[in-house]
Amino acid sequence: MSNQSIKVENLVKRFGKGDNLVSILEGGDFRVDKGELVALVAPSGAGKTTLLMMIGCVEEPTSGKIWLGDEKVYDNKWLTKETRKIRREKIGFIFQAHYLIPFLTILENVTLVSQVNGISKQQAEKEAMELLEYFDIADKAHVKPSQLSGGQNQRVAIARALANKPQIILADEPTAALDSARSVAVVKMLKRIAIDQNVAVIMVTHDDAMLPLCDRILKIEDKKVKNKYI
Amino acid sequence: MINLAQKDISHTFGKFIVTAMGVGMLFGVVLLMIGVYRGMVVEAQGLLKDMDVDIWVVQENTLGPFAESSRVHEDLKDTLRVIKGVDKASAITFQNIQIPLKNRQVRAFAVGYNPYEDISPLNLDRLVSGRDLQKSHYEMVADDKSGLKLHDKVKLGRNIYAVVGITHGAVSSSGDPLVFLSLKDAQELQFLYSNSRIRNDRDRGIVTGASHMVNAIVLTLHNGYSADEISSEIKRFKHKSVYTNKQQESILTKNLVERSSKQIGLFTAILVIVSTIIIALIIYTMTLEKMKEIAIMKLIGIPNSLIVKMIVQETLILGILAFIFGNIFAHLVYSNFPKKVVLLNPDAFVLLVVIVIASILSSFVGVKKVISADPASAIGG
Repeated sequence: MSNQSIKVENLVKRFGKGDNLVSILEGGDFRVDKGELVALVAPSGAGKTTLLMMIGCVEEPTSGKIWLGDEKVYDNKWLTKETRKIRREKIGFIFQAHYLIPFLTILENVTLVSQVNGISKQQAEKEAMELLEYFDIADKAHVKPSQLSGGQNQRVAIARALANKPQIILADEPTAALDSARSVAVVKMLKRIAIDQNVAVIMVTHDDAMLPLCDRILKIEDKKVKNKYI
Repeated sequence: MINLAQKDISHTFGKFIVTAMGVGMLFGVVLLMIGVYRGMVVEAQGLLKDMDVDIWVVQENTLGPFAESSRVHEDLKDTLRVIKGVDKASAITFQNIQIPLKNRQVRAFAVGYNPYEDISPLNLDRLVSGRDLQKSHYEMVADDKSGLKLHDKVKLGRNIYAVVGITHGAVSSSGDPLVFLSLKDAQELQFLYSNSRIRNDRDRGIVTGASHMVNAIVLTLHNGYSADEISSEIKRFKHKSVYTNKQQESILTKNLVERSSKQIGLFTAILVIVSTIIIALIIYTMTLEKMKEIAIMKLIGIPNSLIVKMIVQETLILGILAFIFGNIFAHLVYSNFPKKVVLLNPDAFVLLVVIVIASILSSFVGVKKVISADPASAIGG
């Protein structure tokens, strides 16, 4: 079994046709291994989020190949109709805002995906409580997101992303809404998760101060994804 | 598994309840409309049921006094009474009258009958004060809906009548209060012209007709005799139109109430359609408010079926809650209506079934929105 978590080959993404054709990405080849925290950087509008969505099986590429773990999921077309199942079982998402479901409690937010994956309520709650304890927020398990601070909610969002035991975490500017101290704490937390949970984390960021905390940088330059080592 | 609908409703409980109450009032109006129709049927058949006769004999080629003008001779009752199988025969008159009451006129339906005969249209169970008619002249029993009180004096035609009894719930097919008069008084009111009219007629050479006419003869039969057979016999030999009580009921409900029922039915259908559209709009708005959460749920892999289930459940709960509120509303206000409103459980059950179907149809707009939601819209940047 390889250590590979994400592998992308010659990924191309274009929008529109003819005169309206807009090219976003013209070739991206990279790999992210388990236990790695990789930063994805690029100027605004360069296609960071689009790349994240293609890896996350949300946006269909124009061409190329994508492997998630050892499974090839895209080869010029999706190799499965169940892209949502792939997301549910293999990927955890973290967003700029926490985007927790406001009508569910913290515990329910964290257990929702696990329960959909067929894990019993008791087991899902037990594992969710362990995660909430890991993030030092177990005492808030039964309150709604509106009763927590932004930082607490972001920790819950990370716990939710981990609840389905993903192989990959895709984080879209998770520190954008936080002050610098909390941003550092979140990125350190992601690094700790990458190692402890043996998952690959790709984090989109604009904050250069976060880059030294990452293992590696992927940069989109001239519509191509390039590896930059710190 | 987490029930998303239950969680969402409890999150916005107050708003949800107020919305359900609003829609519920519409359903309450639907129930009341059906109740108005039921009330019309009950009122239309009330007098028939109170009289509890077997056969109605009326003017030939007419449908009888409830549907059109009918005149037969009073003494017809004597020839009908001797037919084999006939137990009792009585003459009856019906007419609309205006009762002067202080500064206004009250429309009423006068029923004339012979208080000394066995068939009485006055159901004593409805008598709430006073007594039945006991004299041949100048007494009146009136329904409380007319506004008359016991011992009131009322001038009708040439004479003054004393109110000797008050009933409750005795109304005509059109909902007007019933007034009971002796047959002689009722005949005089209906058939006897004023002195000046009689003199005028004489000068013109017209012989004024006798006032010994009535609108119908009603019969009761001995046990074991068929109303249909005796009706056929009377039709054949007496050249009258004859109806059994069931046929008379049918004339009342079909000929008199049918158009109203169609009107009410159409209005009810429009209200149900309007309610369905309102529920659909509410569900659409509620779904729009949750689009971000729905996109997130789709992004993190929650299947459409679970999200669709939430929308459909919320719509159904909204519909059923609205039905409950509608029932409460209808039961609170129905007694204040000027005409009888009858709320029946089977009607409420049918409405519940319609609401469930309407709710499921309404949820389609929300479901369509859920299915078309783009999970990528959850991510900014």
